[in-house]
Amino acid sequence: MAHEMMFLVLQLGVILVVAKLNGWFFSRILRQPKVLGELVAGMIVGPYVLGAIPLGSLGPLFPLVDGPIPVSPELYGIATLGSILLLFSSGLETDLPTFIRFSGKASVVGLGGVVVSFLLGSGIAVIFHPTVHSIMDPEALFLGTICTATSIGITARILGETKKISSPEGVTILAAAVLDDVISIVLLSIVVGVSAVEMGGGSVAWSGIGVVALKAVGFWALCMVVGILAAPHLTKRMKKLESLGVLAEISFGIALLLAGLSEMAGLAMIIGAYITGLSFSQTDVSAEITERIKAVGEYFIPIFFAVMGMMVDFKAVSTVLGFGILFSILAFIGKLVGCGLPALFVGFNLRGAFRIGAGMLPRGEVTLIVAGIGLASGAIGPDMFGVAIMTMLLASVAAPPLLVQSFKGGSGYRKKLQTPDESDMVTIELSFPSERAADFLRRSLADGFRAEGFFLRTIEGSVRSWQIRKEEMIFVMRRHGEKLEITSKRSNEAFVRLMMLETLVDFQEFVDSLKSMEQPEMMGAALLMNMFAQQADED
Amino acid sequence: MKIKNILTPAVISTELKSTTKEGVIGELLDLLVAAKLVTDRQEVLAALMEREKKMSTGIQHGVAIPHAKTKAVKNLVACIGIKREGIDFEALDGELSQIFIMTLSPIDRVGPHVQFLAEVSTVIKTKEARQQLLAAKTAQDVLAVFGL
Repeated sequence: MAHEMMFLVLQLGVILVVAKLNGWFFSRILRQPKVLGELVAGMIVGPYVLGAIPLGSLGPLFPLVDGPIPVSPELYGIATLGSILLLFSSGLETDLPTFIRFSGKASVVGLGGVVVSFLLGSGIAVIFHPTVHSIMDPEALFLGTICTATSIGITARILGETKKISSPEGVTILAAAVLDDVISIVLLSIVVGVSAVEMGGGSVAWSGIGVVALKAVGFWALCMVVGILAAPHLTKRMKKLESLGVLAEISFGIALLLAGLSEMAGLAMIIGAYITGLSFSQTDVSAEITERIKAVGEYFIPIFFAVMGMMVDFKAVSTVLGFGILFSILAFIGKLVGCGLPALFVGFNLRGAFRIGAGMLPRGEVTLIVAGIGLASGAIGPDMFGVAIMTMLLASVAAPPLLVQSFKGGSGYRKKLQTPDESDMVTIELSFPSERAADFLRRSLADGFRAEGFFLRTIEGSVRSWQIRKEEMIFVMRRHGEKLEITSKRSNEAFVRLMMLETLVDFQEFVDSLKSMEQPEMMGAALLMNMFAQQADED
Repeated sequence: MKIKNILTPAVISTELKSTTKEGVIGELLDLLVAAKLVTDRQEVLAALMEREKKMSTGIQHGVAIPHAKTKAVKNLVACIGIKREGIDFEALDGELSQIFIMTLSPIDRVGPHVQFLAEVSTVIKTKEARQQLLAAKTAQDVLAVFGL
C-alpha cells in the first residue's frame, strides 16, 4: 500500500511539472491551446514512451497496466476527479441567458452539426471497420459521439481576441456550442446505456434504445429542473454560513454526489457534475464559486489531460493512421456542413455560414471524456482512442487559423442583428477630478454593495467593468478614466442612486477627516528624523 | 426585505407636532423607542443628526428619509411620520418636507438596508401616493399606500 501511494505521488509530481511546463510552452511560444500541451506531455511521459523506461531499482515510473486503461487505477481515479472539476466549471461558466436568447438559431445550427457529425462518424466506422456492422454497434456509437462535441474554449478565445464575440456569428456559435455540449452529453448517456447492454451480451432493440434514451433524458430533465429551482434557495441558506469558501466547497461536494448518482443511474459521472455546474451558474454567487473551483481545477485538470495523453498507444494508432486522417476530415465536414448549411436558413449568408462552421470545428474536453469512457468500458479499443485524440489535435490546430481567416471581410448576416431592448436601462454617471479619486469611490461603492449583500466580479474587457449582482438584481459598474458609471434597470434606479449618494456622503466625511490631519510634510519630516536617530543609535 | 415585517401601525404617526428638524427626528425616534425597537435613544439621535450634518436627507417633493447605522438596533427598523404643514428640513430642492421615513440599521450586519430605503422611496415616487399619504388619517391609511 505504502509503495503504491509513493508511486502515485511520484507520478502526480512528474505529471504536474511536465504538463504545466508543456502547457506553458504551447500557449506562450506556439500560441496553441494549453490543453494540447498537457495532452502531448502525457503522451511523451506515458507508459507507451518515456514512462516505460526503467529508472534503476524503482523500475518504470509509468508501468503499462493490463486492461483497457494503461495507467494505475489510483492515477485514473485522480484524473477522473479532474474531469469532474472540468465539467463542473464548464457548467458554472455557461451563459444560460445568452444561450436562451439565441436558442432559436443556435438550436438549428447545433442540432445540424450534431446529427451530421454523428452520422458521418458512426457511418465511417461501419464502412471501414471490419468488426462494426451497424451504427448501433458500441464502437460506432462512440465514434459518432466523439465527432459531435465542439470545444467552446478555443473558439471563444479567438472570437474574444478578434473582438467578434458579440457578432451575430459569434453569439450563434457560442450558444450552439453550449447546446452541442448538452446534446453530446445526453447522447453519451444514451450511448453508455446502450453499449452496456450490448457488451453484456444482449442486444438492444429500437424500443430498448427508446427506454435508455428516455431514462437518460429523464434523469437530465429531472436534475436540471430540481437543480435550477433549488440552487438559488440553497445558496441563500448557505450564505448564512458567511463564508463563500465553505459555500464553494459544499457546492463541489454536491457536484460529486450528483456525479456519483448519475453513474449509479447508468449515465456518465461528468453528467452530474455538468448539471450541478449549470444549476449554480444561475445564482448570484456563481462567480465566487467559479473562481474557487478554477483554482483547484488548475491542479487537477492538467492531470486529467495528461492521463488522457498517456492512454495513446502509438503502435495501435500507427495501424489506423489512414483511417484517423479520414475520420478527422469527416469530423471537419460534419461541422462545416452540419452547422453551416442550417445557418444559411436562419439569416446568414454564405460567408456567415462558413464562419459558423469553422467556429464549431474545434474538439476538446468532451471529446476526450467520451473517448476515455469508451476506452475504459471497452467499447472502443486503443486504436480508436488514438483516432479520437488525433481528431482533437488536428481540429484544434487547424481551426484557429481557419476561423481568423474566415472572419475577414464584410458582414455574414443578411439582416441587421436585433439588439436587446435598452430603453429599460438607465446609466448614472459621476465625474471626479482625477482617476485616483474615481477609483477610490469605485472601491467604496463596491464595499457598500457588498454590505448590502451583493456579489461583485470583474468583467474582462478594454474598459474596467464590474458586475454587481444579488439574486435578480444585476448592475454593471464601469470606470472610464475620471468617470464612474453604473448601469441598471430603470426599476432599480432609486436604489443605485441612494447607494451612490451614501458613498459620496462617506467620501465627504473622509475628505473632512483628511483636512484635519496633521500636515503630511510634517509627518514625513518626523519619519526621516526618526530614521536617522535609529542609525545614530546603532553607531 | 419585506416592508410588511418592518412597518407596523405602532411605528406610524400621521400627526407630527414638532416644527424643527431635530424635533421631527426626535419625535420619530420616540415612536421606535415606544415600540421597544431602539435601546439607546441618545446615541441614535446623535448618529441621525451626524448624518444630517454631512448631507441633508430631505430629498424632493416634500419627502425626507433620515437614516443612520447604529449599534443600538439589532435589525433594520423603520418608522413613518407625516407633517401636513411641512417643515424646513434643508431639503435638496428647497421645498418644505412633509413625509418622513426614518430607517436605522445595525453597523456590522450585511443586509439590504439601502435596498429597503430604495423600495420605500420607489412607492412614494408618484404624486398620487404622496397625496394619499398626506390625506391619511390613521396608521392603517398609511400602510395602505404601501399595499399593506
